[in-house]
Amino acid sequence: MSASRTDLIRLVAGREVAVKLRDKGFIASTLVFVAVIVIAVVVPALLEGDTPEYTVASTVEARTVADTAAAIGAAGGLGLPEATITVVDSDDPADAVADPEVAAALSVDADGTVVVTAVDGVPGALEELVGAASATVAAQVVAADAGLSPDQVAALTSPTPPRVDLLEPRPDQPVPPELVIVIFGFMFYFTVLTFGIAIAQSVVEEKSSRVVEILVAAVPIRWLLAGKVLGNAVMALGQVVLIVGAGLLGARAMGQGEIVSQVLVVSGWFLAFFVLGFLMLACLWAVAGSLASRVEELQSTTLYMQIAVMVPFFSAILIQDEGPLRVALSYFPLTAPLMMPARVVTGDAAAWEPWAAMAVVALTALGLVAIGARLYAGSVLNTSARTKLGGAWAAGGRA
Amino acid sequence: MTHATLEVRDLSHRFGDRQALDGVTFEVRPGRLTGFVGANGAGKTTTMRAIVGVLAPDSGRVTFRGEPMTLDVRRRIGYMPEERGLYPKMKVAEQLVYLARVLGVPRETARARARELLEALGLTERAEDLLHTLSLGNQQRVQVAAALIHEPEVLILDEPFSGLDPIAMDAMAERLRARAEAGVPVLFSSHQLDLVERLCDDLVLIHEGRVVAAGEARALREERAGRRYRVVVDGSPGWAPVLAGMTVVEAGERGTVVDLDEAADPQALLAAAQQAGPVGHFSRVLPSLADLFAEVAR
Repeated sequence: MSASRTDLIRLVAGREVAVKLRDKGFIASTLVFVAVIVIAVVVPALLEGDTPEYTVASTVEARTVADTAAAIGAAGGLGLPEATITVVDSDDPADAVADPEVAAALSVDADGTVVVTAVDGVPGALEELVGAASATVAAQVVAADAGLSPDQVAALTSPTPPRVDLLEPRPDQPVPPELVIVIFGFMFYFTVLTFGIAIAQSVVEEKSSRVVEILVAAVPIRWLLAGKVLGNAVMALGQVVLIVGAGLLGARAMGQGEIVSQVLVVSGWFLAFFVLGFLMLACLWAVAGSLASRVEELQSTTLYMQIAVMVPFFSAILIQDEGPLRVALSYFPLTAPLMMPARVVTGDAAAWEPWAAMAVVALTALGLVAIGARLYAGSVLNTSARTKLGGAWAAGGRA
Repeated sequence: MTHATLEVRDLSHRFGDRQALDGVTFEVRPGRLTGFVGANGAGKTTTMRAIVGVLAPDSGRVTFRGEPMTLDVRRRIGYMPEERGLYPKMKVAEQLVYLARVLGVPRETARARARELLEALGLTERAEDLLHTLSLGNQQRVQVAAALIHEPEVLILDEPFSGLDPIAMDAMAERLRARAEAGVPVLFSSHQLDLVERLCDDLVLIHEGRVVAAGEARALREERAGRRYRVVVDGSPGWAPVLAGMTVVEAGERGTVVDLDEAADPQALLAAAQQAGPVGHFSRVLPSLADLFAEVAR
């Protein structure tokens, strides 16, 4: 019956996982989160749809305008919408639009003005294209009258668009990086808060039910802490991977392979920083739990921890313009886990920078784990009342 | 010194200004039930917590079989804390298996033992219920099972009888007796002095952090018996001797209780009683545990 550290830590972690897996609130929140992500990925893809298609009837006189509109719609560009326009012949516009398949009918009146006939409205894209086509045709007529060659006319009516030269082009990303940061930021905020509070609750539950006395008699306090943190870290990472995975599968199912590869590339840094950032704070969450003697006291003992999670979230979302503040925050241990991957995503960080920030976070984590373990050891057995930090620190030195 | 003895030597501990333990020394012998008795706040729980390693005393030491209480030794203790300690939202059987595994019992053995214990405690039907849905008495039984699940070599039980009904109390007493007979040193605290008196082989009396008496229960009582005698003269309730150096404390249906001073001879009392009629009972009065308790608490 000799004590094996690995076995005991695994056993304690296993209980944490089992408890969480059976927690209805946890299951519900995970499912909701997965559903939200899938919806967020799938619905815009459904709404975006394909290039609109219109059937347009045209009299012989309006045929040039109709064909030009179809050509412009097929080419796109110059700020004009894309559309596939099929032109059919018709002598009577009113009769033509009686067919529900026909979106509008073009004709030319006695003054030579192009007339668009429709039942109750013309689709915006179609109206724009017809307007542009009509202007182009008019310009061609005037230019031809002025004696310009067809090439000159073409240069006039379809000018070459300006070329854009980027000195430091951002990678071609179908999802704006700002959105990626907000999504990852929110997910981490949510997960760290959920599992941080779970650690604190699990600690205070053992404290208030006194089961901790039985455990401490048989298991060193620090192993107990390690098991608790490990179990919750595994669950937290599992939840994040599940949510990201669900989002990616959704994107892939919608044929948005570009989003998948873009997110996969950035999620590596986000996940690495997430694990470190979580471990950095995990022992302090346990301390927040062990300072309380009852569940009701958690609200006040975890207050500073909640702030410690909230500040990085809001700073990563709000401070997206590169500058000294953003650089500094990307190295500050508390904000680095979100800020540094955010800078990587927006292409503002040099290749070595995430590694440096990671080292800073890892070192801080080592320090905070040691401090947290001592405070936990010093307060977890004080079941009578709320423990003060100073007392816990002193008692932890003896434990 | 017998091998499986638990020895407590010179434990002292302060909580702030209060000396909670002051040189607490006693031993818990194998095969015997040792009762730990003292007023509220006398230091029973603190002593027990120090034994199981939940509290690190300022000074003193605890040994089992002559070994200090290292982690491996502590894991062979069955401990029942004063305030009950189990997971309220965990199923009864699962909870026992978990605690057994924490204490190093392989999973299958743990399951089998949990089943056996729950059956012995009449809780088989509640095995799959969440602990907090059980009545307090039943939770208490689960707590007992938790202390026994790893077949401990020492039992340290803080108030194991509190909250039990008389039947459960007897069952518990039987169980403790059985463990003791199997060679396990058993230390338990209790406020129920009559129960301790009936059950215990050895006693430890603690008062304000000091052990005021420790040893075999009967010897302790005889030691403190003094020169008080009870005599029953059949047919003459209320008989009272008139002899030098004797003071009648009480005379009535239950016989006559007489305090003898240093010079008085108990045989003279017996002779006088025999002259008054046939003597149905003649004995030295041993103080009850309650008397001892009252005496040390004074």
